[in-house]
Amino acid sequence: MRHIPEDELHAYLDQALSRSQCVEIESHLAGCTQCQDHRDGIAALRDRTTALLSTLAPPRRFTPAVEVLQERAAARSARRATRWRAAAWAASVVAALGLGWAGNAVNERVPSGAEAELAAAGDAGAGDAAAGDAAPGAQNVAIKAADSLAGRDLAATVDLADAGSPRPEPPARRPAPAAPAAESRTQRVEPVGTVLSSGQLLAANLDAATGTVFRTVSWASAERERGASVPRIAGLPVMEVQVGTSGQSGGKPLVVVAQQLESGQVIRTIEGPATDVNKLLASRHSESGSPWPAIDDSAGGIAGGDGAMTYRRGDRILAITAPLPSDSLRAMIRRLNVTER
Amino acid sequence: MDELEKLYQTTYTAVVRFLYRKVWDADRAEDLAQEVFMRLFQHRPEKPRAWVFAVAANLARDEARAAIRRRKHLTLMTNDPGQAPSRMSMPADEEVEHDEQMTAVQGALDALTPRDREVLLLWDGGLSYPEIAAQTGLAVGAVGTTLARARKRLVDAYDRQHQTRDHAAHS
Repeated sequence: MRHIPEDELHAYLDQALSRSQCVEIESHLAGCTQCQDHRDGIAALRDRTTALLSTLAPPRRFTPAVEVLQERAAARSARRATRWRAAAWAASVVAALGLGWAGNAVNERVPSGAEAELAAAGDAGAGDAAAGDAAPGAQNVAIKAADSLAGRDLAATVDLADAGSPRPEPPARRPAPAAPAAESRTQRVEPVGTVLSSGQLLAANLDAATGTVFRTVSWASAERERGASVPRIAGLPVMEVQVGTSGQSGGKPLVVVAQQLESGQVIRTIEGPATDVNKLLASRHSESGSPWPAIDDSAGGIAGGDGAMTYRRGDRILAITAPLPSDSLRAMIRRLNVTER
Repeated sequence: MDELEKLYQTTYTAVVRFLYRKVWDADRAEDLAQEVFMRLFQHRPEKPRAWVFAVAANLARDEARAAIRRRKHLTLMTNDPGQAPSRMSMPADEEVEHDEQMTAVQGALDALTPRDREVLLLWDGGLSYPEIAAQTGLAVGAVGTTLARARKRLVDAYDRQHQTRDHAAHS
């Protein structure tokens, strides 16, 4: 009976074999001590390799919020579409001019070698081709130019040093949380400067729904404007602080603090006049696919569900929104409410 | 959660590690990983997991080329080749030991052939045999053979380095 070859034992331990192959190997192993020893040796080798490779790991950091990358990707697609149209247009103009000139040259019956070649390449036809006939050719060239632009990206070999590539921009302003632990953990989120765009999105929604003007501000100026502390979950890095003023309600302005969880998900703490907060929550809820549930806080106290939770205090509301189950949010808002007082 | 988001949550760290073992710079690895996933969300490919590692490998290759260009440029500018970056502060003993082990493993990994190294890193990144085969152009049946050889060579090269170091320490 043949013994099991080494590579098959590797594949077996790597769970890369079919069920029938596994059965075959296992039935052989059951009666062959030599192959059992071999298998144990390979298992040890596998473990050792994994252990050695595990030393080659960068310092553990947490994963940036998926929304951040998605927004950056969307922004880039939009930019690319614009550039693309511009490039296609430019290419078509260049091609049309070039071919028109070549066509003229042919018409004047003084074709030098190079001009004749250009005319032929542009599919402009020989002999009496007029500038007008050259137009379809020009379009072809333009489409090819656009295709090659797209192809460049699909090949995934764009040099990152390119001016057009989205190296992380430096953040506009940096909130300065008091806790040193939070301070050090903000570091990796920082380069993801376009975090701001999520805030801008929020602000745009709000403008329409509530007429509130939102500004992204530093931690210090948020506290100064409110003349009070700004609510946040202790120990989590702060991504952004926004202050909103509606002009209707007096008192401390509405504030939105976006923070990032270890898992990379974003949690927002909102505090402000009840009407403003409710409008904000309602406007977010009406968006399709939004995880924020409708909240009926007329009864006061804690209200909400998975995704959002509010705590009403007189004419003001403290709210937390995050892709988390209601009991976690409830616990957070309780703690926050205590520390806020 | 959408399939790509799930993939992002489960493989981001693996991709950073994969890139780190190619560019040897934690910040660069992180930047490149973010670039990879941004492209993932733009393109939404059919086989996203294999795609992610293929793009990561491409970016790392481009990065290596760019690094060579930069080095050449620097050499021309400063006429001072091979100047090691100075450390801001001396690390603690434990870190020294960890650094030494890392250097040894890095050396062992460098001793592999490019193909063996690639297959080993892809496997460690979590790709299956068929996915590794598709990316490297190997037959699926050859992945096991390559992995077997790569594992043995990595451990052998590492042990050899350790022996040489111990010899040097004792003499």
